[in-house]
Amino acid sequence: MPEKIVVDARGMACPGPITKLVRAYRKAKKGDIIEVLATDPGFEPDVKAWAERTGNKIVELKKEGDVIKAVIEVTAK
Amino acid sequence: MPEERVLVLGAGTGGLVAANLLAYHGYKVTIVEKSDFHLFQPGMLWIAFKGHRPERYLRPVEDLVRPGVELVKGVVEKVDFAERKVTLGDGRSLSYDKIIVALGASLDYDAVPGHRQLFESIGDYFGGADAAAKFWSHFSKLTEGTLVVAAADPLYKCPPAPHKAAFLAADTLRRKGLLGKVKVVLALPFIHEYASETMAKIIGPKLREAGIEVKTMFTVDSIDVENKVINSLEGESIEYTLATVIPVHGGPRIEVNPPNAVDEDGYIKVNKYTLQVEGYDDAYAIGDCTNAPTSKTGVTAHLGAEVVVDRIMGFEARFTGRTNCPVVADGEAAFVISDYEHPPVPVRFSKMKRLMEDLFIAAYWSSLKYPEKWQAVFRAYFEATSPAVLGERGW
Repeated sequence: MPEKIVVDARGMACPGPITKLVRAYRKAKKGDIIEVLATDPGFEPDVKAWAERTGNKIVELKKEGDVIKAVIEVTAK
Repeated sequence: MPEERVLVLGAGTGGLVAANLLAYHGYKVTIVEKSDFHLFQPGMLWIAFKGHRPERYLRPVEDLVRPGVELVKGVVEKVDFAERKVTLGDGRSLSYDKIIVALGASLDYDAVPGHRQLFESIGDYFGGADAAAKFWSHFSKLTEGTLVVAAADPLYKCPPAPHKAAFLAADTLRRKGLLGKVKVVLALPFIHEYASETMAKIIGPKLREAGIEVKTMFTVDSIDVENKVINSLEGESIEYTLATVIPVHGGPRIEVNPPNAVDEDGYIKVNKYTLQVEGYDDAYAIGDCTNAPTSKTGVTAHLGAEVVVDRIMGFEARFTGRTNCPVVADGEAAFVISDYEHPPVPVRFSKMKRLMEDLFIAAYWSSLKYPEKWQAVFRAYFEATSPAVLGERGW
């Protein structure tokens, strides 16, 4: 069963959000959804670069106020 | 004279500074430590990649505690914040009025397949002075092939540690005329050449200048020791002749009551400004063993110890999360300077900064035993170089 993993990295400065994403990704399996919430502005370009390199899919990337929400489908594992 | 009995767990940088400062101020202090020797941890880099003698970075713990501090040799097994009680491995128990937990982070060589086998066969620059000496015995014989410096997780002690490893390794190889015959590959779990993009722009060109090949977004997922291949979580592989991988870190391996005083990785949950253990006004944690959102480094342990001592004495001190991580390159250094409110500011490499780092190493033992003598010196430095003062212009 694919699972949804929520990673709350709000208030964490660089490289906090990516660190948390990498750690969640290690435990994830194919088909899982990782949702990351972050406030670090550097997270948006970083998560795009990460998804491109690892071959995982960004399903949603949006900004609500100060919070960046990225929803990633684990497709590369 | 204060009547409070303060129990300090761990005689690393934070524990020794806290215990010795409290004793200076007249407190009854007991410090618990499992090892006979204190290791200046950055020294492992110099042992592993430059062949320095391990003795240079080791001192007997008993020589580093000042009179008035009671040293108890033992392994901390359980900390009970609710009952104000600490249990040691041999069954002894200790009570306290105030406690400072300074037990550091633990290293997990079993989190990544093949890692323990690699570590046990050739050592590394994280697992102790002996492990570093063992690594040097292999590295010093390397005459061709590829040296890979990598990490199994983005969260580890001393964020520039792998960069320093690569710089020092390349320097040693260059001095032997072997750089080129031996390729140095630095594989990092970050998006850029350093966790902070600002510092990546400064460190990246230095790495290229030193002839170091950098691979970003490479988090070690498994090590095939037989075929000498490292595989990453991101789906890539690197072949190596000699490799060293920073292990996955976690909180101290102790039982804690209440269990929710630690996070899912075992780090002790603290208020990031007061360093008080969440929910307890008589308990503090400092340095690498906490979940404070700053770098795991000796500087934060030292500054955290000063804040906690001030608070025990009744002052309203606040920990800023300040970092000052030295990045040592060939004959030069830079510092990664940030705090909770400011991401790393641009700090350029210079020979003067290298001189400052070398002076600090020379002063290290004294700064542990007599922290009050160094407070004015360090305070002047940290105020003059605060990220708010340096700003976007940097240093």
